[in-house]
Amino acid sequence: MDDTRDEDLLRELAPQVLGALVRRYGHFPTAEDAMQEALLAAAAQWPEEGRPEDPRAWLITVASRRLTDLLRSEQARRRREDAVAAWTLPGDWLAPAADQPVAASDDTLVLLFMCCHPSLTPSSQIALTLRAVGGLTTAEIARAFLVPESTMTRRITRAKQRVKDSGVRFRLPSEAERTERLAAVLHVLYLIFNEGYASTSGPDLQRAELAAEAIRLARIVHRLLPGDAEVAGLLALMLLTDARRPARTGPDGALIPMAEQDRSLWNTAQIEEGIALVTGALARGRVGPYQLQAAIAAVHDEAPSAEETDWPQIAALYELLMRMSGNPMVALNHAVAVAMSQGPTAGLARLERLRSDERIAADHRMYAVRAHLLEMSGDHAAAREAYEEAARRAMSLPQQRYLHARAARLKGSD
Amino acid sequence: MKYMILSYASQRDYEAMAGKDTGLPVWSEKDLAAMGEFMTTVNKELEESGELVETRGLTAPVHTRRVGARDGQPFVTDGPYAETQEVLAGYWIVECESIDRATEIAARLGQCPYPGNAYDNAYADIRPIAEAADDMGF
Repeated sequence: MDDTRDEDLLRELAPQVLGALVRRYGHFPTAEDAMQEALLAAAAQWPEEGRPEDPRAWLITVASRRLTDLLRSEQARRRREDAVAAWTLPGDWLAPAADQPVAASDDTLVLLFMCCHPSLTPSSQIALTLRAVGGLTTAEIARAFLVPESTMTRRITRAKQRVKDSGVRFRLPSEAERTERLAAVLHVLYLIFNEGYASTSGPDLQRAELAAEAIRLARIVHRLLPGDAEVAGLLALMLLTDARRPARTGPDGALIPMAEQDRSLWNTAQIEEGIALVTGALARGRVGPYQLQAAIAAVHDEAPSAEETDWPQIAALYELLMRMSGNPMVALNHAVAVAMSQGPTAGLARLERLRSDERIAADHRMYAVRAHLLEMSGDHAAAREAYEEAARRAMSLPQQRYLHARAARLKGSD
Repeated sequence: MKYMILSYASQRDYEAMAGKDTGLPVWSEKDLAAMGEFMTTVNKELEESGELVETRGLTAPVHTRRVGARDGQPFVTDGPYAETQEVLAGYWIVECESIDRATEIAARLGQCPYPGNAYDNAYADIRPIAEAADDMGF
């Protein structure tokens, strides 16, 4: 504990402190503000005065006082004021019993369920999760999502208010609701990861930290629900995907597709951890989409070279995934796996079937895959055309540059 | 995804709005107030739904200053537009689920009341804003 940086410790304690406040006093929106102020106070004071003996108790005490002040200044009705004035903190809060952390971690889970409440839009769920559970400041979240801080402030304030208005009680959802609500939490963490992972290097480094934050939060959920196979699957998927990050962009910032990446740059520790996680999860027998995606990522990461990739295995996993999800991107990836294991003609036949799916028919990725398969089949003229078309439809500059480069490579070879 | 909704107007449109007789229907105070009220309402709705990132209106095209280079020398000109040339008049940046939703928002903005039939053929453009790469394909 002592060798952790203050900042990391604060981020770890943030949801526990907030959970304790909300559990005890309610007032989720104000409690969240109070928690943020306590974090700021700690960040300012601890380096000067040293870290307190019991950082968690210190934060809860400071945040409780702050909450009291905030509620008073909210011109609360006299009755509420009286109640607030009468609050005293029980001694066991200042010196938590040994079993306290268990309850605290439950609180983190309850908070996550609250932040990913179905009454909120995905963008609000993400913002609230990062602030209330991740302990990020509004400014940091705004920077990561490229919106003005005032916009993010409003988004978070509104989200907190909506959670309060929804009348949701501070406790874990009922058994009946649990699966669906947990799926929402996992989806939010997945979106946060993807937002960070999809942003390339350079000026977007701020955003890249979102991937690390998503992994941190997924670790917390996995620690709290060690028996849940999909939670393990999601954490594994993040680790196995993020492991390739160092090889994904060249020194000039250009995107490098997996087949051409320098695999010696992949993070082996993360790959090992991810493989162990997904193997353990699959063995429990309740297979879900995150585990399958993690298994696919694991097959890629285990191959010493692109040529040695076990494509039949990947095609089989996508087959299973397609039965669970109607996502056309899954079907598109399946077509690639089929082409790699049975030849480009079989893959192109799969693509033809996707053309009627309007969710993806016009998408640049559809054209990019078609171009790759045409190139594999030796039809370079058609491949070049498809690469150019994909580049025209792509929106990000690195993607466009990559696709134009592929097209240029085929010049004169047809 | 973030999208920019761009709306257009000419110097002549601006002047009609300012009460000058340009051959277009002239805006009365009441017309102006109705427009202001409409815009405030829609912008508030977008703010409420968390979709509004930013919106701005531009002053009349006549206030434009253009800077360029000629033979390697920078030069500056004023008001380069013809009276009737439609140029950017304002924009909204919205963050929403899809371009279809952004299109819906633009269509809603297009219901802004105006005098006469001068703007029956007005249009707005919806353009995706460049952000990150878009998937885990790499």
